[in-house]
Amino acid sequence: MQLSDDHIAYIRKDLHYRGIVHEGLEEELIDHICSSVEEQMEKGIRFIDAYHSVLKKFGHTAGLRQTQQQTLQINQHSKNRLMLKNYVLIALRNLRKHRFYSFINVAGLSVGIGICLVILLFVLNEISFDRHHVFADRIYRVHSKIDFAGNHYDMTYAPAPMAATLAADYPEVEAAIRFRERGSYLIKRETENIKENNVMWTDKDFFKIFTVPLLAGNPETALAEPNSIAISKKIADKFFPNEEALGQTLILDNKLNMKITAVFEEMPSTSHFHFDVLIAMAGLEEAQSPVWFSNNFQTYFLLREGANPKDLESKFPDLILKHVMPQLKEVMGADFTLEKFKEAGNKMEYYAQPLLDIHLKSSLQGEFEPNFDITYVYLFVAIALFILIIASINFMNLSTARSANRAKEVGVRKVMGSLRSHLMRQFLMESILLSVFSFILAVGLAYALLPVFNELSARQLSLPFDQPLFYGGLLLGALVVGVLAGIYPSFFLSAFKPVNVLKGNVALGMKSGLIRSSLVVFQFMISIFLVVATIVVYLQLDYIQNKKLGFNKDQVIMVDDAYALGDQRVVYKEQILQNSFIESASIAGYLPVEGTWRSDNPWWLEGKEATQENMVSLQNWQVDHDYIKTFGMTIKEGRDFSRDFLSDSSAVILNEAAAKALSFDDGIIGKRINTFGDGENGGVSTTNLEALTVIGVVENFHFESLKKNVSPLMLFLSKRPGGYISFRFQSANTEEVIALLENKWKQMAPGQPFTYQFLDESFGKMYAAEMRLGSIFGIFSTVAIVIACLGLFALTAFTAEQRTKEIGIRKVLGASVSSIVVMLSKDFGKLVVIAFALATPFAWWGVTKWLEDYQYKVEIGWWVYALAGASAFLVAWLTMSYQSIKAATSNPVDSLKNE
Amino acid sequence: MHSPELLKGTLQTIVLKVLKDHGRMYGYEITQRVKELSDDRIFLTEGALYPTLHKLEAEGMLKTETVNIGKRVRKYYVLTPEGKSLVKERVAEFADFIKTMANVLQVQLG
Repeated sequence: MQLSDDHIAYIRKDLHYRGIVHEGLEEELIDHICSSVEEQMEKGIRFIDAYHSVLKKFGHTAGLRQTQQQTLQINQHSKNRLMLKNYVLIALRNLRKHRFYSFINVAGLSVGIGICLVILLFVLNEISFDRHHVFADRIYRVHSKIDFAGNHYDMTYAPAPMAATLAADYPEVEAAIRFRERGSYLIKRETENIKENNVMWTDKDFFKIFTVPLLAGNPETALAEPNSIAISKKIADKFFPNEEALGQTLILDNKLNMKITAVFEEMPSTSHFHFDVLIAMAGLEEAQSPVWFSNNFQTYFLLREGANPKDLESKFPDLILKHVMPQLKEVMGADFTLEKFKEAGNKMEYYAQPLLDIHLKSSLQGEFEPNFDITYVYLFVAIALFILIIASINFMNLSTARSANRAKEVGVRKVMGSLRSHLMRQFLMESILLSVFSFILAVGLAYALLPVFNELSARQLSLPFDQPLFYGGLLLGALVVGVLAGIYPSFFLSAFKPVNVLKGNVALGMKSGLIRSSLVVFQFMISIFLVVATIVVYLQLDYIQNKKLGFNKDQVIMVDDAYALGDQRVVYKEQILQNSFIESASIAGYLPVEGTWRSDNPWWLEGKEATQENMVSLQNWQVDHDYIKTFGMTIKEGRDFSRDFLSDSSAVILNEAAAKALSFDDGIIGKRINTFGDGENGGVSTTNLEALTVIGVVENFHFESLKKNVSPLMLFLSKRPGGYISFRFQSANTEEVIALLENKWKQMAPGQPFTYQFLDESFGKMYAAEMRLGSIFGIFSTVAIVIACLGLFALTAFTAEQRTKEIGIRKVLGASVSSIVVMLSKDFGKLVVIAFALATPFAWWGVTKWLEDYQYKVEIGWWVYALAGASAFLVAWLTMSYQSIKAATSNPVDSLKNE
Repeated sequence: MHSPELLKGTLQTIVLKVLKDHGRMYGYEITQRVKELSDDRIFLTEGALYPTLHKLEAEGMLKTETVNIGKRVRKYYVLTPEGKSLVKERVAEFADFIKTMANVLQVQLG
C-alpha cells in the first residue's frame, strides 16, 4: 500500500524535530522509512507502530543524528575542495577586475624573481668549484709568502724540491705534485702546427690526486716516463679524428717528440684549471733542480685521511731552516744568519691552502686562471635579496593601498558569516596565485636573460630543466614568496571590523601609510645606493682607461710567437718596416700588459756591498733598440739605446722607481749596477758578477694592474730578442696592417699559426673583471629602479583615484592644475628625499671600501651622490607626474556628478 | 543472525556486490535484498548503510539518480566503471580472506 501525503508530512516533520537537516540524507531517510513502514502496514500493523519500529532500527534520535554526522564528515572533503575552487575563482576575478594593479604586481615580481634566479644559478655555480674531485677536501696547495729585497711575493709558486720533500719526509702527505707553466706550444702531428695554450708540465701523481677520468690509458703509468704526455679528448679529436690517440706521437715546438700515454675527459667548467695537454715533468731539466730559493712550481699535495693541515703547516718553519737557509748562506756569504735575514725586513713563509678555497678566496701571483672573489658572491646575494624585497614591497604596498576599496567587501563577507581565517585564506590565495604567475614568467625571463648574463660573467650557466629539484624549488619559492608578500595585507584586511567598515570609517589612502611610506623609502634607498655604485665603477673604469700610463697603448699590434720565425725574426721586422704606415717596430717578450713575460733579480749599485739593505729586486726586461720608441715611453734623463754605441750591449735604462730605490742621490747616469752571475749546475755564483752601466731613466709606466704601484724595473738589450714583435702603425688602415703581417708571416714561417693582438685590447682585458662588475651593477640598478618606479606609479595612480572627489572640489573652487600636481607629488617626493638622505652614508662607505683596493683611483666628488639622488627623484617625479597630471586635468564634472 | 561486529568490515563489499548483480537500487531495496540473500541472517544497520553509500559516492565508485514518486524523492545508486572494477577486487580479496581464516581457525569449508 501507498502512504498518504499526511503520513509523509508527519515523518518529514518528525525527522526535522529530531534534528535531521542534511538535505540529501533527509530525502533518502524519508524514502527508506516510508518503504519499510508500507511493508509492515501491509501485514496489518498500525502506521504509528510501524514508524516507531523503523526508527528503532536507526537507533532513534541519537542513532539518526550519528548517521547524519557521519555523512556530513564524508562530504566535508569534497566541500573543502569546493571552497578551494571558490577561493581560486574569486581570486582570478579580482585579479582580472584590477588588471592594472595585477599587471604591475606580476611585472615587478617576475622581473625581481627572474633576476634572483639568475643570480642564484650563478652563486651555486661559483660555490661548486673544484668539488668534483673525490679528495677535494684533502687537497692543498703550497702558498708562499716571501719578502725579499724590498719585494713582496704572495704566490702559488714553490721551490722545485718542495713536492718530493713533502711526499718523502712528511707522513701526513700522501702524494704531492708540481705544475710548471712554459707558455703556449706549437703542436703538430706531421706538418701543420696548431698553437695550444693550455699546456702544463706535471708530475706523474696528477691523476692520483685530482679526479680527471681517463678515456684511455692507465692512470698509474701515464706521465711516468720522460717524453710522455696526456691529452684531453678535445685535442685527441683534433689531431686524431676517428683514430685511437693512445700510443701515437705528437711533436711539440717542432722538436719534442711526445708519446701519448693517456686521453682524459674535458675538465669541467667548474674547475680552477683547464689543461688540454699535460707533459711528464720527468723530462724537464729544470724540475730536477735542487735549488730551494727559486720558486717556480705550483705545488699541490694530498693530505692523508684524518691528518690536520695545521699540524703540517707548523712544520714548515723547520723545513725552511733545514733546506732553504743553508743554500741561502752559501750564496749570501758566511756571515749570513737567519736573524740578519729577518732584520733586513725579509721573511719566508709557507702555508697549506685548501683546494676548495682557491676559486673564491685566492688571488695570488701565479693562479692558473683568474678566480672569483667571495665578496662579490656575498654582494650578488645581497643584491638579489634587495631586488626581491623591493618587488615584494610593491606587492604589499599595492595590496594594503587597495584595502580601502576592498574594505566593504570584507565587511559584507564578515556579516555573511565569513570567519577571519576564511578571509585570510582568500587573500593569501590571491597573492599565491600572483606569485605563481610571476614565477612562471620569471623562468621565461631568466631563460631569455641567461645568454646575456653568461656573456657578462664569462660562465656557461643554464636552467636545470632536467632536475625535479628545480621544479620543487620553484614551487616552494612561489609559495614562500606568495605567503610572505600576502601575509601582511591578509592580516591587515581581515582585521577590519565590519561595523566600522560598513559605516565608512576606515582610514583611507596615505593616512594609514606609515608602513607603506617606510617601504617606499627603503625601496628608493636601495635604488640610490645601486645607482651610486654603478656610477663609481664606471668612473673608475674610465679613469683607468684614460689615465696617463707612461706609454701609448693605442695603435700597437703585437704578433705572437716570434720564435716560430727562428732567425728570420729581425728580417721579418725590417721587411714590414719598409711600409710607410708602419712607424716603428720592436721585438720583446716583456710588454706593459699582464700575461706577458716577467722576470726579476736583485741588483745593487757597484761599489756598495752585496748586502740585503743595498739589494733591490728589479724587473729585468730584455728589449731591443726600438722598444721605448715603439711603446711611446718617455726618457726623463740620459738617453735611449742607440745603435751608434756598441757599448750599449752592457747598458741599462731604469725606470724612475728603480733609480730612486737604487740610489737616493741624483745623477745615477753613468753609474754601474751589479748582480750575481750564473754559477755551475744552474745555481748562482757569488764571485762571478754581472755589471751594467746606467745610460738613462725612463718615466714610470704602468705594466701591472692599476691596483698595484709601479715597481722598480730595468731595460737592457737582448742579444737575441724574442717573444712578441710589436708594430706601431698609423690609424685607419688596421685591416691592411693585419693582411700585410699575415702574408709576410705565411711566406717566412709556412705551417706556423699566425696570431696577433692589439695592445689596447690586451690592456683592456686586465680590467675585464671591473668591466663586468660595472655592467652587472648597471643592470641591477636599472632593474631596481624600474621595479621601484612601477610600484610608485601604481601607488600614485591609486591615491589619485582615491582623491578624485577632493580634486574635483578643489578645481571647482579654483585650484590650478599645477597646484594639484604639486599636492599629489609632494607626499612621495618627500619620501624620495628621505631615502636619499639615508642612502648616502651607506653608499659613501661602500664606495670608499671598494676603491681602497686601487693604488690609483678616481676622486669621487659630492656630485656623484647628488646625481644619483637627482636621477632617482627625477624618475620618481616623472612616474608620478603622469598620474597626477591626468588626475589634475580631468573635468571636475565627471568626478562630482555621481552621488 | 550474525553479529554486527563480524559484518563491520564487509559492508562496502556487500553493497558493491549487490549493486553489481542488480544494477540500479535504492537504500531500502539494498537492505531487503541482503536480508533475502542471507536467509534473514544478515541485517544491514541502516545507521551504517547511508554513510557508506555517501562515502562510495564521494569516492566516485557510485553515481546517483533521483526519481520523484508522489510526495517523496527516491535516490537510486548505480556503479560507475571504477566501481565495477573495485567490486571484482573486493570480492576476490574477501574470498582470499575467508580461505586464510579457514586455515587460521582450522575449519573445513563446506
